[in-house]
Amino acid sequence: MDTTQLLKGVLDLAVLAVVADEDGYGYDVVRRLRNAGIEEVGDASVYGTLRRLYSSGALTSYVVPSDEGPHRKYYGINAQGRAMLEAQRKDWQEFAGTMARLLGTETVR
Amino acid sequence: MSVLTEDQDVAAYAVAVRRSLVGLSQEQVDDLTDDLEADLADALADERRATHGQGLVAQFGTPEAYAAELRAAAGLPTADRPASRWERLFPDPVEQSQRMGRRMLGWLRSQAWWPSTESFLVALRPVWWVLRAWLVLQVATAFVLGPQRMGLRVGGLAEWVVLGGLVVASVQWGRGAWFQSRSTRWLPVLTNVVAVVAILPVLATMSSRATQAEDVYRAWASGAFNGGTQTVYEDRPVDGVVVDGIQVSNLFVYDAQGNPLQDVQVYDDRGRPVRTTFDNGYDQFWFPESTEPWSFVPAADADGRSRWNVYPLRGAPTAQFEHDDDGSPVLQVGVSASTPPWPFAKAPALAGRGTVPAAPGDGAVSASGEPSTGTSTGTSTGTSPTPSGALSGPTAGPTP
Repeated sequence: MDTTQLLKGVLDLAVLAVVADEDGYGYDVVRRLRNAGIEEVGDASVYGTLRRLYSSGALTSYVVPSDEGPHRKYYGINAQGRAMLEAQRKDWQEFAGTMARLLGTETVR
Repeated sequence: MSVLTEDQDVAAYAVAVRRSLVGLSQEQVDDLTDDLEADLADALADERRATHGQGLVAQFGTPEAYAAELRAAAGLPTADRPASRWERLFPDPVEQSQRMGRRMLGWLRSQAWWPSTESFLVALRPVWWVLRAWLVLQVATAFVLGPQRMGLRVGGLAEWVVLGGLVVASVQWGRGAWFQSRSTRWLPVLTNVVAVVAILPVLATMSSRATQAEDVYRAWASGAFNGGTQTVYEDRPVDGVVVDGIQVSNLFVYDAQGNPLQDVQVYDDRGRPVRTTFDNGYDQFWFPESTEPWSFVPAADADGRSRWNVYPLRGAPTAQFEHDDDGSPVLQVGVSASTPPWPFAKAPALAGRGTVPAAPGDGAVSASGEPSTGTSTGTSTGTSPTPSGALSGPTAGPTP
């Protein structure tokens, strides 16, 4: 199955989860997603998602100056983002449980 | 890849991405891409990426695709950028038709009968590919050689070679094999548009030549394509008198002594008047060595009817005609019709009837007393040449 399509629906959740773990800048978030096993997502999708979550008020943003390389725009989660993360986490787990029952596996939870 | 060229590549890629973000405000573009170079450089430097070591496009896709992904993920309107006032007033016709096409396709796909129709049409696509090549050839022919050279028939080796090349290019593009790079993609698209636009004009030209296609078949049947001469068969004999394939405008008659005769009435074997002209004096005729065209006037018989089978036809230069109230041409007052120049003042005299010395016993010919003068004339009905007796019927002078 093409997991790219599946990911589109839950990329917000994944990005929120990563940023909630620790503040991060663009490629840093991509790298952490990859390390977590989410390989199929395009870099640009992650950057766009970060920008959208920031615009909708779920993330904060601040620039960290750097002596050698370029300045970095870091993203961090705020209260609204945490609320969103919790709600979506709950939705996802319910949905995943439903799918798992439907498919006859009980590996989730 | 050296660091320097990598930086240049990243910069160029970032510029292309920003350029692809059309329709967004500068602020939005900056917001979306302010870390773009740094992120790209990080990604390229990341040795744990599966695609590490490959080029930018191999890793991230084309700048356009990257920009579209960025934009879609950021929740910004993708293809349909907000229209400016100018665009609302004068919508881009290409964009409009594309949008209409998409809407149309969406509607069609929601119909129950569409899938089978679509698969049928898809199966027909190769036909279009070939037809497209042929259309392009026709348009090119019309432009380069002129519209007269367009034709259903592909003539000549060169034309076949060009058509073959076009068909190959068209089919290869249709199969997605050629012209897929950005630099050449416009070419087949433009060609497709030209072909679609050209369908109607080309087909109209072709249908106006549907009759010619028949001629082409006849020509083929008569072997003209193999280098032979073309024989044209007419369904109906040409009205009038034809000599050596050329229509005759006037007849000149000489008697047995070779003297020219005036006002000779000519009829065929069924009593029909033999006419050379059928336009009642409207037309203009050129003679050998004449400097201006002539028009003819009829003779009038005792009952006042116009007779056009009285030879030689008399007339005058067309400039000396005027039109009467009916619009019929009449000679101007003071001008009288005259006989056009005779081909010769005197024809060779005949030796005798039925005893032409050199003629072998050819019954059919000798019965009609074929004159051995140079002015042999054939009539439309294929009857024998007019006897050269000193006929003088009820003649009347040409009416002015």
